[in-house]
Amino acid sequence: MSEILNANPTIRNASDLPSRRRLGASQSLSKTPQGLFASVVPASAYLPDPFSPHSSDSDISDEDEDEIEPIDEQEIYDLISPISDPEHPLTLGSLSVVNLPDIYLTPTFPEKGAASPLTTLTVLITPTITHCSLATVIGLGVRVRLEQALPPRFRVDVRIKEGTHSTAEQVNRQLGDKERVAAALENGTLVGVLRKMLEGCESGAV
Amino acid sequence: MPSPFSPPNISLPLNPRPFLHLPRLAHSTPPTLPLLATCSSDKTVRIYSLTTFTLLSTITGGHKRSVRTCAWKPNLKGESVLATGSFDASVGIWRRYDTDDLNPRPVVVPVDFDARDENIDEYDEEEWRFAVVLDGHESEVKSVAWSTGGNLLATCSRDKSVWIWEEVGEDDFETIAVLQEHEGDVKCVAWHPEEELLASASYDDDVRLWKEDVDDWGCVGVLRGHDSTVWCVQWEGATPDVYGEVEGQEVKEKWMQRREASGPRLLSCSDDMSIRVWRRNPKEKVEQSRLSIIRTGSSEEDWVEETRLPVVHSRPIYSIAWSKSGRIVSTGGDGAIVVYEERWKQPNTNAENPGVGAQTEGIDKGEANGEPQTNTNGAESMEGVIGEGDATTDANGQGVTNPGHESPLQETEWVVVAQIEGAHGVFEVNHVAWAARRDKNGGVGPEQEELIITTGDDGVVKVWTLDI
Repeated sequence: MSEILNANPTIRNASDLPSRRRLGASQSLSKTPQGLFASVVPASAYLPDPFSPHSSDSDISDEDEDEIEPIDEQEIYDLISPISDPEHPLTLGSLSVVNLPDIYLTPTFPEKGAASPLTTLTVLITPTITHCSLATVIGLGVRVRLEQALPPRFRVDVRIKEGTHSTAEQVNRQLGDKERVAAALENGTLVGVLRKMLEGCESGAV
Repeated sequence: MPSPFSPPNISLPLNPRPFLHLPRLAHSTPPTLPLLATCSSDKTVRIYSLTTFTLLSTITGGHKRSVRTCAWKPNLKGESVLATGSFDASVGIWRRYDTDDLNPRPVVVPVDFDARDENIDEYDEEEWRFAVVLDGHESEVKSVAWSTGGNLLATCSRDKSVWIWEEVGEDDFETIAVLQEHEGDVKCVAWHPEEELLASASYDDDVRLWKEDVDDWGCVGVLRGHDSTVWCVQWEGATPDVYGEVEGQEVKEKWMQRREASGPRLLSCSDDMSIRVWRRNPKEKVEQSRLSIIRTGSSEEDWVEETRLPVVHSRPIYSIAWSKSGRIVSTGGDGAIVVYEERWKQPNTNAENPGVGAQTEGIDKGEANGEPQTNTNGAESMEGVIGEGDATTDANGQGVTNPGHESPLQETEWVVVAQIEGAHGVFEVNHVAWAARRDKNGGVGPEQEELIITTGDDGVVKVWTLDI
């Protein structure tokens, strides 16, 4: 990068970032879901995935291995907040590029209830400056991180938060195009940048 | 709950799912041989037998990145020719002499585009051999299509261009047009079944039509309407098939006359989750209104949106296909496969359209056994029907689903006759194609059964029978 686009970004203190750990809960959240929708999601949603090739009747008793843990917004936040900004040695969480209230988990087919395991995850990202040319790369990093970390039943939509970027529509179109994303991940230079961004994430290799 | 879809009788395993797997089907099977070609982000092309549903050959090493598209050359005897398009910006042409030996014979054919001249003698006569690489596109090739006669090949790419190649001699291809009017990636190209007219679908939300005028290929029409990327365009077959009965021969005759004047219709599907049917306004009308224009015999085409199919999908629609028998199948990011049928609209039933009953049963109970007659007690079969709201609204029709788009001349309507969710488990479905069933009776006879073949992000090819 020849020149830094935003030399003085606002940085949040690590202690100010939303975290499950400060609440005293252990990392395992499966017993006490705290997501916004935890109370409204029917319990049956957590039954073994009927579409999963590994689930069968005999597996149901095998709770330790096969229990599907609910995934909530905080968990999504924890997956993407450690991603490094491509131009600052700072995380997307500390730069407030990703924010907990801008993460939405909704059933892909609300009318089907628990009958469909598909979940749509929408993450709105807030670029540090409205003309940030790296918004697409940041969005791609978030999408890649989520596609790799989450089970395939998630449909991941990463978009620019409304009013925070001058070419949001173009960026959104690119990030939403599965084929372009797939092609981008065959681009060695770009994969190098993404790998660096995801270094701080657990098992974040591209 | 029975469904008109039989569970896939065959799953063809491809390979473990890499990140964002994009297996794709060839748009067609070769007319003479029951073969199926698939291509994948693992850079391979696999050829399966549709008689035995086994893998015959795997072509590896030719393309350096994902193989995104492949198409069989039509009108061949004694030989099969396959064109492949890859994210590596190249197009490959592959040949194999036809043999009767269609037993499973998995052979890996290593090919290196750069060293092709040295390797070419080593191939078994009965195996796939690399013939030509067509270079020209600047970035990922997204679709390739042979013209009906087989002499022209169209290719398109993220570089926003459509190229037309002519085979001037064996393995000798000449670029005859580079068409650059699209303002975004060109996702799909498809040739008109009877004319040398090409349709292309793009990231710029438009569908364009291309034709040769005197000596130059140019854009002869822009079909605007979609609100997002158009993923796929497909042409109607030569003879349309409308299901059901309608009172009054005049209605049918009028419809057939207009259809004959317009020719095959065009189908498009989009990220905007709509599927649209486009129809040509017959030529005479166009020329009359353009008498004052100097250039007479203009090749400009006038196309209109005839109708939209019932809205069922809730994620981008990646692929559509129009069967020989006139049915349409669609699939996409929501993992559903939906089959639609065109039926005569029943007159005098605008308020209480009986189509609801027949239609809902088709989806829900699998009882639409080829008798889409009126059924007035449709209400009781509606529980639990996915997408019931849309289907019902559409059947009750009168411009509710297609506000402002329904032609007053519309004698037919499209209804959902079959639908399956989670066709590839939780994975997205990338491509769908029809094929004639060839594992029974040699695939001959008047009542030729049609198969639906899908490929998904799970890396699996599934073959479905439709029992309606």
